[in-house]
Amino acid sequence: MNLILLVLILALSIFVIASKDLLHSVIALSGISMLSALLFVLLKAPDVAITEAAVGAGISTVIFVWAIRHTRRREKEES
Amino acid sequence: MKKSNLFSSCKVLVTFFLIAFTLAPILLSSHPWPNEGRDYLFENASNETGASNSVSAIYLGYRAMDTLGETLVLLVSITGTMTILVGLVKKEKSDSPNTFLLTRDKRKSNQLRTHLLEVVSGKLGPIVLLFGFYVMLYGHISPGGGFQGGVILASGIVFLALGNQSEKETKLNNPIVLARIEGFSFLALILASTSGMLMGKGFFGNPLSHISANFIILLNIIIGLKVGTSIASMCIAMMGRSHDD
Repeated sequence: MNLILLVLILALSIFVIASKDLLHSVIALSGISMLSALLFVLLKAPDVAITEAAVGAGISTVIFVWAIRHTRRREKEES
Repeated sequence: MKKSNLFSSCKVLVTFFLIAFTLAPILLSSHPWPNEGRDYLFENASNETGASNSVSAIYLGYRAMDTLGETLVLLVSITGTMTILVGLVKKEKSDSPNTFLLTRDKRKSNQLRTHLLEVVSGKLGPIVLLFGFYVMLYGHISPGGGFQGGVILASGIVFLALGNQSEKETKLNNPIVLARIEGFSFLALILASTSGMLMGKGFFGNPLSHISANFIILLNIIIGLKVGTSIASMCIAMMGRSHDD
């Protein structure tokens, strides 16, 4: 179970780095927070799990989405 | 195109190398995990601090100075954020800086706030607030504590502010009131932590330890109020700023 969660977290974090759209990255980041909260519950650390779920999936996602909505997207013409 | 591919694969390789370099001492060591501290806490934490949740016993009993430093860091970062936000609002010289409270057809920003979001978050807000108070007040016997409860309180306040369908400004979505509560609770934290010194119990000592052991409940409430109101006031001030580019 732990291994599955860890592999999922690793896959999601690679997606966060590789994704072109920042909004997709932020949603995947909050998914990582939820998965690691689940992992902390399984490892018998419920305090850390509450903190991770509230801060990682709640507040920081709100702040990231707010910041992304107020920046403009610009891409280079040729790579 | 080829060059950039090579460059990115190099980056991935360097990242994996660094991760392996960091984790290798942990994975390869044959040293057993130290468990003296754990056993000591398991035996004595409940008697010495009055909290049966040993995490609370550490961060409000044995290591309360660290918690004070943490709240100070939070206070400084919120102050910096609010200073930057207030400066931005003044530069745009908008007459109503808080567009957050207007109804949907009147505000220019926050177009994604539909009626669905408003109704759901408005109904969910009180329940989240109640859960936050529960986590905060029962932090000494069950998982949770001041900081966790405070963050849940903050998300409850943000929910209530998002679900506010009338244009009235209530006390819970006014950043000035929230910031005032934050300041007073920091003052209360300092007063509570120094009150032990007058009774000869030392900094962060329990001044009434012969009557009641649960000084930690008071500290949990103060820290929860402080963390919750500071994060909520920052979020509301950020989302309420007018921004038409």
